[in-house]
Amino acid sequence: MSFQERYVEADGFRIRYLEAGQGAPLIWFHGGGGLQLNKLHALLASKHRLIALEVPGFGDSPVNQRTKNLAELAATMGAALTALGIDQFDVMGISFGGALTLWTTILLADRVKSAVLLAPAAYRPNRSTPPTPEQMRNMLYAHPERVPPAPPPPAELTQKQMALAIRVMAASPQAEMEAGMKDCKVPVLVLMGTEDRLIPPAMARHYREILPDCYLVMVYDAAHALDVDRPEACFAVIDDFLMRQGKFVVSNEDGAIFP
Amino acid sequence: MKAAFFSPVAYQGTAPGGWPVPADAYSDEAAQHSYNASIERFRLADETGWDWVTVAEHHYSPFSLTPNPMLLAGALSQVVRKAKIAVLGPTVPMLNPVRVAEEFAILDTMSGGRVIAGLMRGTPNEYVTYNINPEESRERFREALELIRMVWTEPQPFGWQGRHYEFRAVSIWPRPVQKPHPPLYMSGSSPESGALAARSHIGIGFAVTTLPLATKAIAHYRSQAAAAGWAPTPDDIIYRCGLHIAASDEQAGNDLTSGPPRGRFSISNPALESAVAGTSYYGRDFEAQRNRVARLPTIKDAVEQGQILLGGPESVFSQIMKIRQLIGAGILDLVLISQDDGKARRAIELFANKVLPRLHDME
Repeated sequence: MSFQERYVEADGFRIRYLEAGQGAPLIWFHGGGGLQLNKLHALLASKHRLIALEVPGFGDSPVNQRTKNLAELAATMGAALTALGIDQFDVMGISFGGALTLWTTILLADRVKSAVLLAPAAYRPNRSTPPTPEQMRNMLYAHPERVPPAPPPPAELTQKQMALAIRVMAASPQAEMEAGMKDCKVPVLVLMGTEDRLIPPAMARHYREILPDCYLVMVYDAAHALDVDRPEACFAVIDDFLMRQGKFVVSNEDGAIFP
Repeated sequence: MKAAFFSPVAYQGTAPGGWPVPADAYSDEAAQHSYNASIERFRLADETGWDWVTVAEHHYSPFSLTPNPMLLAGALSQVVRKAKIAVLGPTVPMLNPVRVAEEFAILDTMSGGRVIAGLMRGTPNEYVTYNINPEESRERFREALELIRMVWTEPQPFGWQGRHYEFRAVSIWPRPVQKPHPPLYMSGSSPESGALAARSHIGIGFAVTTLPLATKAIAHYRSQAAAAGWAPTPDDIIYRCGLHIAASDEQAGNDLTSGPPRGRFSISNPALESAVAGTSYYGRDFEAQRNRVARLPTIKDAVEQGQILLGGPESVFSQIMKIRQLIGAGILDLVLISQDDGKARRAIELFANKVLPRLHDME
């Protein structure tokens, strides 16, 4: 699957995005580590028109000090999609991108058909000291030894991205978010890894408690980067949910072993 | 220290050995008598102060008539009034884990929070019973253990995207009475199982083993638990063995030599075991695990190796002290060797009167 790199002008930003696949648009919001593609994206793009947007202030884009919170960021991303000629869409994101997905779903509810939050960071524990890169690698993956070694990103890039993610998340009031969640009619799927060491898996139940049409699915033997740990398992349930929304709880698998 | 009364509900009639056992010799009357006799023994054990009663899962053999031990435990919840009801246990890798969690929750509710949940992998032959690949045994067990815990504790409906199990909406009623869930045990004979139990912070049980093998296994469990930041207590360790107790050592010995031969309902099937041995079922400690029960020892050896407790009350107590000293077990799970109704009854009462108070004093 070959992704095309493109840019779109919206809300005063020049926003980079990667696109592949055909069909109804599916929007991907990356996590605090930045926009990186993996096997899950290839699987998604085999069935959907996947558009992975890069948040202004991430990657090579200039430092973003203008965006105050996730509500403003959601509005910017909505403007980018409008500029791309996209009105109705499915949206998903991981960690920081999961929190952005939630705010986008609340604020653009009339445009979002369904939403998927992977290890979303809208609810997260208070952490006094940020983990070191080595600790982070061990926390991100259920089986770090299975993930091919890669050179760590430049420290200044990590610093720039994480500062933005932490700042806009901290400035996004929980009360306002929860008020929006209560009234949100969009079907939402929340995926959480059973081995998540950054966000305790039990925190995922908050989404189920507040969102009126929410489905929580635990991904066994996956940590925070559940898209990397178990891409096939994530794809199977995400694809089924995107196709059938709430009806996905009813099995349509062929149980016959032989004809 | 605590004592559990275990009955596999062995068939009280004549039948061949091996596995699976053809049913041409099966008698309804003998099977019904087997159940009635076992339930009476469970009731007597409860009334005389035994701490637990224990049931287990085995299939297709007169060796045990409890292919679903949950059903018998349900009946016992209405008969056994004080003792805890230990299901040791469902053979988890070949069952639906959500169903297992539900059944334990029913039992815990019906018994007022007295259920003990042992999760087992089963003997090799069991993998044929429901056509499950023994190669997957450990992986299925590991996943099921995690799923069962979540089924018991998660208040919101949830789905499960596993490797071997997939569910889209789980939210069980009833819920376990014990919080966060009933005490959990698993078999700890192999290094892999001991490590998993330690990592998962759950108790272990030893059955069909010898004291030297259990001593080695318990050291591994303790070191793995220490690495995981906790130290097992005696209540975390169950040791199962045979028991025959009589008024004196001499009487106990005579009872055994004059009764029917031991081990008459073997579930051994060498061809099948050889096929299972070709998989990862036995783990890396292959020879020790496979040969644990390779031969039926003499009575003297069986006592020496901790496979049976035999003698008058004093001898039985000192044999128990050896188990306690070597592996630190806090719970003895005892199966009667004599199936004669009168001798069984006397053994239950004698143990309760002469040995159990001394075990309870140790707490």
